[in-house]
Amino acid sequence: MKTDVAVIGTGLSALAAARTVQQAGRQVVLVWPGLSSLYFLFATIDVIGYPTATATESVADPAEAVARLITREPSHPYARAGMDAVHAGTRLMLEWFKEAGLAWQGALNRNFLLPTATGTPKPCCLAPASMTAGDLSRPEPIVFCGFTGYQDFAPELAASNLKRQWGAADVSAIRVTAPGYGPDRLFTSVDLARSFEDATFRDAVAAQLREHVSGDGARVGVPGVLGLTRPGETFAAFQEAVGHPVFEIPTVPPSVIALRLFDRLRKHLQEAGIEIIWAAPAHAAQVTDERCRSVLLKAAGHEFPVEAASYVVALEDWVDGAFRAGVHTVRDPFFHEPITWNKVPTDRTAESLFSTQPFEQVGYALTDRLQPADENGKPLARNVFCAGGAMAGYDPSGTKSRGGMAIATGYRAAREALAA
Amino acid sequence: MPDTSTGVVVIGGGSTGAGVLRDLTLRGIEAVLVEKGDLASGTTGRSHGLLHSGGRYCVNDEQAAIECVEEGRILRRIARSTVEDTGGYFVSVTEEDHEWEPRFVEGCRRTGITCERLSLDEARRREPALSRQVRTVFWVPEDGHLDPFYLVVGNVESARRRGARVMTHTEVIGFLRDGDRLTGVRIKDSKTNEEASIACQSVINATGAWSGLVARLLGVEVKVVPVKGTMVVLSRRLAHAAINRCHKPGDGDIVVPGLSVSILGTTSAKVAHPETLPIEWDEVRRMIEEGAMMLDGVTTARAMRAYAGVRPLYDLGAEAEGREMSRNFAVIDHQVRDGITGFTSIVGGKVTTYRLMAERVVDVAARHLGVRTPCTTAEVPLNDREEPLDQLRHRPSLLGVPKPHGDEPPLQPLLCECELVRPQDVAPWLKDPAVRDLEDVRRRTRSGMGPCQAAICSYRLAARLVSDRGLDGASATRAMADFLETRWRGVRHVFWGSQLRNMQVTTGLHMELYNVDRELMLQHSPPPLAGEGQGGGRGAEPAEVGAQR
Repeated sequence: MKTDVAVIGTGLSALAAARTVQQAGRQVVLVWPGLSSLYFLFATIDVIGYPTATATESVADPAEAVARLITREPSHPYARAGMDAVHAGTRLMLEWFKEAGLAWQGALNRNFLLPTATGTPKPCCLAPASMTAGDLSRPEPIVFCGFTGYQDFAPELAASNLKRQWGAADVSAIRVTAPGYGPDRLFTSVDLARSFEDATFRDAVAAQLREHVSGDGARVGVPGVLGLTRPGETFAAFQEAVGHPVFEIPTVPPSVIALRLFDRLRKHLQEAGIEIIWAAPAHAAQVTDERCRSVLLKAAGHEFPVEAASYVVALEDWVDGAFRAGVHTVRDPFFHEPITWNKVPTDRTAESLFSTQPFEQVGYALTDRLQPADENGKPLARNVFCAGGAMAGYDPSGTKSRGGMAIATGYRAAREALAA
Repeated sequence: MPDTSTGVVVIGGGSTGAGVLRDLTLRGIEAVLVEKGDLASGTTGRSHGLLHSGGRYCVNDEQAAIECVEEGRILRRIARSTVEDTGGYFVSVTEEDHEWEPRFVEGCRRTGITCERLSLDEARRREPALSRQVRTVFWVPEDGHLDPFYLVVGNVESARRRGARVMTHTEVIGFLRDGDRLTGVRIKDSKTNEEASIACQSVINATGAWSGLVARLLGVEVKVVPVKGTMVVLSRRLAHAAINRCHKPGDGDIVVPGLSVSILGTTSAKVAHPETLPIEWDEVRRMIEEGAMMLDGVTTARAMRAYAGVRPLYDLGAEAEGREMSRNFAVIDHQVRDGITGFTSIVGGKVTTYRLMAERVVDVAARHLGVRTPCTTAEVPLNDREEPLDQLRHRPSLLGVPKPHGDEPPLQPLLCECELVRPQDVAPWLKDPAVRDLEDVRRRTRSGMGPCQAAICSYRLAARLVSDRGLDGASATRAMADFLETRWRGVRHVFWGSQLRNMQVTTGLHMELYNVDRELMLQHSPPPLAGEGQGGGRGAEPAEVGAQR
């Protein structure tokens, strides 16, 4: 098999790269190592929430903040992608979401401030329409609603934290019963999401909410479980039945909000005839004359090559297995280059969990064209380009910038791959 | 915190203190246990959990070996569900080990330890992971796994049913005296800094590695040598039985199967203070290398965390150091030795012999109090019931089956999926005033001890702190963060492979999904570890404090 561009990865940067190639009218094959990092790390698309990893003042205008970051840190992944890629990539994705039937909102010049499951305001740039009624720049009172026996959203905890930060009188917590679910039954967010697609179930929950929530334009925050396969429809029907604005709050994996996004985009690509090689970790690049000729995949006990004119390596550094951390050496699975070496494994970490982690910074050194490079800055292969978490210095946790960086770098790497 | 009074104050909430408390109450003596941290948070909860057959000591420390044999048998009767009868192997790897074998066999014979030499084929049939380097194998059926948390909690709960009181996170900061007679202790709540007094007739110092520090408050000397040991937890059981190197006890020569994990242990290094237990990379490396000499799969298994504990070796004045020192214990009657009435110390020893240690020290204290009721802890089961088997909850058997079949009960909801902890296992502890933070909940339920190291269950626990215990969101979030930081402190030392991948999920969840880092900053307090430690729970301890198990 020979294609124009092979994109390796399952996360948002890989999807952005694949869409970029597709929109350019060229052939693309997606190679997926396994579970998408979307399942673990995404619910919203955060472009930049805070100017630095320790700033407490959130960013009002993400586009402006990214531009500033690019000036300040020329080797930052955003700087490597460039401001044009931030704009073009975001536009590309929003158009795609629309075409795929996903209702998302947001623009690069403003952040929403949405409450998380701990009741902490979090800045985010693009979000599903089912989440944005939670925006804290709006004044309406908030009622957090949980379900009896459901452990992954605690309205009491969220309300208590948000009250302190956002005005005491306007936040409250209630719990309702989800018919058929209770403290004696093991269930996950996905089970609830499927039940919400049933009108009887939905109305039974909504009826309890109507009883608890009194007028005055209050809005209701619920865990992100309002439907899985037809989310727009389910959400609209539920909101209408409740009679108040409703917003979803993302929960721990399996995060339904992330599942919806991933599954819809995957199907949309497949409907367009794009080949996806699924559950096949790539483990070697065959390089001759400075060009990658094929990438070897391992699947179902055998090995086979994927051949492309160029390649985009768009992986998260760890969760989807881009890098393999031995005790001292971190290697990449394609070129088997040592990416980093630590005398003591503890050196990969910071003393506090909630701070900038050296292991998050680990990644390929890159050329200006986003090609993985050796220590002298020479590309490991001229037709391989890197996006997402596998880039050196890619650490979105503190600044809340994972989605934006994924899209911008995925877009830029794909443009480079098309030009190669 | 009001002033109170009691018969005996027991200082120390490890296995010894818990055993002492129970022993006292079984003899009808009113008692209060005062513990600076949580139950089993010092030496006991950081042990490797090997219930010693005595084989490890039978050559160099005969008395300790004999006590292990006897106490192991008693524990299997009275504390059935804290013990897993894994049995154990003593394996020779090197020529030097080979030369130790006759001494080991002779030691077992002299001390009454059951020991059988197996052919290599038979040994490998039973334990396929034995390394190719293993040349001789002895089967020692009375090695086992002892759940140290369960053991301490079981003793304390039994004592509480008889009216004993327990004060955790409460430090003894001084003594009340009337001339040469002790009349009480001054205590301080380590979280609120409130102080109070407990008047009593007698004090038992069961603080192990801390006994010298406690005795010093009274101006008397107890020579205890704190010796650090570092252990590594692997995420699965590599062997059915405990694996010991058949040689003079040394570093990294035990692999203990404990519930769902294997624990590699341990090192031995004298430390200046029982709370200064830094984990060195060299120790972690050595645990893994030495473990791999006995068992295949040690280097490739997922390492979950490392932790360090401190042994309370009693200095009998000999020249011996560290492992050379006896694992025996001693009761110090300070009335006889220092002329102070009402103060007794119990030092040295090990978790396996905690009950005997308690019996001996209570014998002395009770005699001074004029109580002649004999010790019954060797007969009365820990759950205080007549059934031969301890009916303390045994978790997995209550979990139902994965999928409902016919009339079988459906799978129940779990709070911690890694360790199969149900919400109702946690609920009663959240009502217990002795439980002060989420680490305390962990010690009693195992929540957060599995591969994900509390990434998921920490939120669920924080939620219950608000709904069940009435904490405000800030305190609950803080407790969640402290809990994760304590887990993190152990994970950092084995930061490679799957555990590293897992931690990207943890940071992603807590920093990006929840925005907890900003929640902590916005509370106008520095993140854990950066602060001065006011009321911050364990997370606010200085970083050198060894990681918890």
